[in-house]
Amino acid sequence: MNTSGTGEDWYEIHLRGRLDQRWTTWFDGMTVSTDADGTTLIRGPVADQAALHGLLARLRDLGLPLLSVTQVPEEASA
Amino acid sequence: MPLALVETKFFHPRPRHGMVPRPRLDQVLGTRQTRLTLVSAPAGFGKTTLLAAWLAGAADTEVGTRRIAWVSLDESDTGAVAFWSYVLTALERAAPGVGAEGLDLLESGQPVETVLATVLNELSVLPDDVDLVLDDYHLAESPEIQPGVAFLLEHLPPQVHLVISTRADPALPLARLRARGELTEVRAGDLRFTNEEATTYLADATGLELDARDVEALEARTEGWIASLQLAAISLRDRDDPSRFIAGFAGDDRYVVDYLVEEVLDRQPEEVRDFLLGTAILERLTGPLCDAVTETSGSGQMLESLERRNLFVVPLDDQRRWYRYHHLFADVLRAHLLGEHTDRVAGLHRRASAWFHESGEPLDAVRHALAAGDVARAADLVELAIPALRVVRREAVIASWAEALPDDVLRNRPVLAIGLVGGLMSGNQFAGVAERLDDVERQLGLPEAELVIVDRGEFARVPAALEMYRAALALNIAGDPAATIAHAERAFDRAAEDDHLVRAAASALSGLASWTLGDLDAAHDRYLVALAGLEQAGHIADVLGCTIAVGDFATTQGRLGDAQRTFERSLELAEKEGPALRGSADMHVGLSEVARARNDLEAAAAHLRRSEELGEEAELPQNPYRSRVAAAGLARAAGDLDGALSLLEEAVRVYVGDYSPDVRPVPAQLARVQAAIGDLATAREWARSRGVSASDELTYLREYEHVTLARLHLAEHALEGSEPALREATGLLERLAEAAEAGGRIGPLIEVLGLQALAQQAGGDQPGALDPLERALALAEPEGHVRVFLDEGDPMAGLLGALAGRRPEWGYLRDLVEAAHGPSTTTSPSPAKTAIPVDPPRLALVDPLSERELVVLRLLATDLDGPSIARELVVSLNTVRTHTKHVYTKLGVNNRRSAVTKAHQLGLLNRSGG
Repeated sequence: MNTSGTGEDWYEIHLRGRLDQRWTTWFDGMTVSTDADGTTLIRGPVADQAALHGLLARLRDLGLPLLSVTQVPEEASA
Repeated sequence: MPLALVETKFFHPRPRHGMVPRPRLDQVLGTRQTRLTLVSAPAGFGKTTLLAAWLAGAADTEVGTRRIAWVSLDESDTGAVAFWSYVLTALERAAPGVGAEGLDLLESGQPVETVLATVLNELSVLPDDVDLVLDDYHLAESPEIQPGVAFLLEHLPPQVHLVISTRADPALPLARLRARGELTEVRAGDLRFTNEEATTYLADATGLELDARDVEALEARTEGWIASLQLAAISLRDRDDPSRFIAGFAGDDRYVVDYLVEEVLDRQPEEVRDFLLGTAILERLTGPLCDAVTETSGSGQMLESLERRNLFVVPLDDQRRWYRYHHLFADVLRAHLLGEHTDRVAGLHRRASAWFHESGEPLDAVRHALAAGDVARAADLVELAIPALRVVRREAVIASWAEALPDDVLRNRPVLAIGLVGGLMSGNQFAGVAERLDDVERQLGLPEAELVIVDRGEFARVPAALEMYRAALALNIAGDPAATIAHAERAFDRAAEDDHLVRAAASALSGLASWTLGDLDAAHDRYLVALAGLEQAGHIADVLGCTIAVGDFATTQGRLGDAQRTFERSLELAEKEGPALRGSADMHVGLSEVARARNDLEAAAAHLRRSEELGEEAELPQNPYRSRVAAAGLARAAGDLDGALSLLEEAVRVYVGDYSPDVRPVPAQLARVQAAIGDLATAREWARSRGVSASDELTYLREYEHVTLARLHLAEHALEGSEPALREATGLLERLAEAAEAGGRIGPLIEVLGLQALAQQAGGDQPGALDPLERALALAEPEGHVRVFLDEGDPMAGLLGALAGRRPEWGYLRDLVEAAHGPSTTTSPSPAKTAIPVDPPRLALVDPLSERELVVLRLLATDLDGPSIARELVVSLNTVRTHTKHVYTKLGVNNRRSAVTKAHQLGLLNRSGG
């Protein structure tokens, strides 16, 4: 499922807890950034719905509480 | 066997010492169990530990003991065959006799529901309680396995309980189960350590007297999450100032596990740290494997010391041989590895792949090669692994590799490409196969220097195999027997003279196509070539499989002598090979059928007993239904039509098809018995559902069904006086006789001529009836057919008597008349003794069954499940289970199927006793 039809959809996943930069590789190159409020934002392209669910399963396996999952416009400078 | 099931997955973890007692959870789980127990929580909440402790503490039930079937699932179990192989094997080990038949059915490609129905049938009368534990269910849950699990859950008998531990709620009807009180749930909120539990745990694990505020701070920061408390405890050990550490931890907002793992890693000596990171890619750990992957030595001791120090390794067996990391810890370790040593990862996977390859574990070898990004290596490994996988029928694995390997690596690897085609086709995945075969053909035109061939021995086979698969495609997809024969003959010609196997397979395929065309002479011919080739290739087990088909031809052509010789010769071959070779039981079943056709009922019964004695190991997948069909024939010969009926009903249930055309469909055999006992409505329903009618064009493949229809019409005339039915039967039989004669099928011709005689007699023309009967006898005499006439009962006995008046000198006819008036005719009430012993003696039991047990045994032979049997007898299920247990003990069996078979042999199920 790909709404833009041309490439991948971008998603932003908000988590409680702070994850290190090092996890970027683990999340297949998505950007991992932390917030002062002790939450983490994972952002990047996701190939399709199956890939998104795979990503959510990996977060589940880490025991990280999920705050939100949002589809966002593609970032110009990825 | 290189692909045995992974033993460690059946290991049922034992509770570890120093565990925090959790009476509040034990209370939730209780000792009286619901249909489903669900332990659903994220990683690191102690799900497995809880189940291990609970099951260890669970008491005996009032009837039997409690048995545990445990499976630790992983990602490789999302396919139905793999998943159910593990589940049924675990059940079979926990309660021998419960899963074996299901596993056979599964292996022979039966639908999962059929497999599970068989297993449930055994489970429902099991005397003991069974807990089926599926640990880490989220790893295996997939659309492929989910319907089967739902079906199993829905039909679970009350003494069997499903226990699921998972990180995500399963797609099962939880709300409905909850509403009915059939669900026990333990969730994250229940599993979190309370303040009290955390205090006990930390005191035990750290040996420190922590002050209450510190414990509270830790508990708040980890939110009672057990895995992180464990990590915290490890960090706390040997600290001079635990309070300071706790304050630092509590004041940090980083991901708890990240923070703690880093703490733990930082405090490890360099070699331990390296070891942990280097082995993080492994799903299972053992000393030699870790040595190879980390290029060090002493990993075995390292693992033991990690376990002693509680550093997140979990033993997978009792011998301290295999371990795994706690999942959560492994994930964080891998993140560290990827983040800090990206360059090392491929090398680690490559070495793991090499180790698994050397240890004969191709699945893991290929998986690690793919993870290393080394597609060429993975392709090499797959090519080498395919022949062994084919032998153990794990073609689904081959098919999954066909998806994992990119197309361009196959462009110059003909052996690999053809091997993958074999895997795909055996799983009925035909899409794109023709294109793959065309590409292999293209490769065969290239100079050999441009090809990559790892398995030289297989390369010579590619040209012939290519045509073989095309032949199979033509048969299965295009439904074009003529093209099948053309491709198969080409495969035969292309095969090297000493490649007996391919030549045999090509001959068999060509024979099969001729068979479906009704050209029995050509089919017989090709199958004999196939038999000889298989024998020369030393594939005796396949010789036995092929013999069944050859025996069927011979029988269809009325050649009982040929059939007998073929079965005997193959049996001899099998016995030379060793005791109880797979397929030898089936030879006895074939010999039993031949003996029965000649009315040597004693020999027929002896062969069936021998088949049973040889056991399941000696059976081909078809044996369960074929042996019941043979037993039904014997029951019928003994005048026990009800027994025949119930045996055939069972045969329908355990029916397993193969590539051969189904020329004597069991439902049609069932309809014949129904017609014979006057259950015309059911027999008509069969005819309607099969869409068989007297005006059909007659083909060989449906001959048996059309003869069955003629019998049904004759029965309609006899019981309902329907003249149109008699006319239909007469017309149909005439056409059937012509077709059988034209096709040289003497067996069906004898039967049809006999039926024509009966039809004429039913129409009031007895003198006219004697002509076809005389012809039938003339055809039947050389091979000594008897039962084909005797099974027709009194009307036939009368006709035979009348014919004897016309031809008093005919010895064969005199014998038939004599046999027809013995006790074994269908309807003759005469108790006169003859030389034919019908029932084996009924005294074989040392400890005879009580009347009540006999009643239970008869019900076990029906379709009823445990609760229905209890209702029927108006007793509790426990009483039924106790009786069942006694019946099993007295018969010396451990499951329902064997009990019923044994009962038939001992003649315990005949009507007379009830």
